[in-house]
Amino acid sequence: MRIRVDSAACAGHARCNQVAPGLYELDDNGYIATSGFTVGPDQEQLAMRGARACPERVIHILDEAPAGEGGPD
Amino acid sequence: MTVDHAPAAPPHIPAHLIRNFDLWAELTAQGENAYAWAAALHQNTPPIFWIPRLGFLPGAWIPRRSEDLRRILQDPETFSSAGLTPYAMLLGESWRLAPLEVDPPDHAKYRALLNPLFTPKKVDALERDIRELATQLIEAVAQKGRCDFNEDFAKPFPTLIFLKLMGWPLEDRPLFQHWTQTLIKSSDMQVVTDNARTITDWIRTHIAERRENPGDDFSSYLLASQIDGRPLTDDEMLGINFLIFIGGLDTVTSSIGLFFRHLARNPEQQAQLRANPDLIPDAVEELLRSYSIVNMRRTVTRDVQIGEATMKKGDIVMISTELANLDPEVFDEADKVDFQLSTGNAPHMAFSYGVHRCVGSHLARRELRIALELWLKLIPPFRIADGTQPRFNAYGVFGMEDLHLQWDNPSDRNGASETRVSEASA
Repeated sequence: MRIRVDSAACAGHARCNQVAPGLYELDDNGYIATSGFTVGPDQEQLAMRGARACPERVIHILDEAPAGEGGPD
Repeated sequence: MTVDHAPAAPPHIPAHLIRNFDLWAELTAQGENAYAWAAALHQNTPPIFWIPRLGFLPGAWIPRRSEDLRRILQDPETFSSAGLTPYAMLLGESWRLAPLEVDPPDHAKYRALLNPLFTPKKVDALERDIRELATQLIEAVAQKGRCDFNEDFAKPFPTLIFLKLMGWPLEDRPLFQHWTQTLIKSSDMQVVTDNARTITDWIRTHIAERRENPGDDFSSYLLASQIDGRPLTDDEMLGINFLIFIGGLDTVTSSIGLFFRHLARNPEQQAQLRANPDLIPDAVEELLRSYSIVNMRRTVTRDVQIGEATMKKGDIVMISTELANLDPEVFDEADKVDFQLSTGNAPHMAFSYGVHRCVGSHLARRELRIALELWLKLIPPFRIADGTQPRFNAYGVFGMEDLHLQWDNPSDRNGASETRVSEASA
């Protein structure tokens, strides 16, 4: 599953980081440090919870990885 | 409570969108019923209505839907934050509260100075200090079996953390507590003006002193900082310090008061948290949602239509975090406080949205969580103190003007049973 973060619109609530600290890392200003990444099936739930926690709605779930293909893209 | 001698609405505001009450006066009059009354506005008012007056401030649009408020907060070009607190104007001065009253793109320059000081990591580093301070304050009242919650905890707790964080003298705590209450909670323009002057005098004196003797405090940090390759002006220094003062002191005091009134009035939920301390972070979020305390304003910079409301350039729009957070379109059972529902619910707006998101939100959450954790750990089940009535005030930042709590220590079992009997017969 791919995650896209519209990091320019991040307002630094850090709720994603609170829910899923390993996935959504923060920079030295406390704002999101990534513009996107791919997660494997075992972390999809966590990634989605982090996305839902964003008050600004800047974290987008793009697609789900096709079954059987777990590798990075 | 209708508004007497209300100024006439501007001609572009249709009569059916006008509601003739002062939101703050009405909420204050509602007392313990204030948030239920606010929740009911979602049933009995248009999505965006207009009121003729707010305290001593002029009339404003009141959008109540969370989605409309989100759109407004995320569009600072159309909805400007410039010049919306009265303090400098009341003093006949021209500084602004930066970054609060600064719009993009300049906003980011000021915000960049503050952000690194208030990150979750910085707050982690303060955790031990915060716990120690809270523990000391709670232990000072534990044996008494009752307390004046504002004076004994809700005011000194954030004030001491704030002074520590700012590197300002801790012994000035009573001064700061007094200023905060009179500046932010007063509906009397003269009282606000007098206090704004006292506070700005204190800040200016402090800045001048730091200019001579730099330390590792906040003012020294600002004095050494630059914007656009130049040092900050005296007015910029004052505006930032004044803003931090307003933001850092009263908001946590007010939230804690409302949280503890709720727990005192709802012993089953207090017991739920005592039995499941892991639920406390969710409870903090749910209580922030249920008892939001901040109202901000914006000025419309160009004509804009939202639903039925035709807003004209120059109109004032009220950002009511409590209405957004009680919106039944967004929250299941919005008018109920349910700690377990909190995780599944949508994010709330207590710290606002958009570029002006509360810079102290991480610190505030930490202070609130630690306050709940330690009170529930160190103090037996508490209730509203006998013979007292909590008093709520909704001018400016909403909060408890008076809150006395009482509990039964194990050693005074006799007194405890008497109290219970008298309560049962009350």
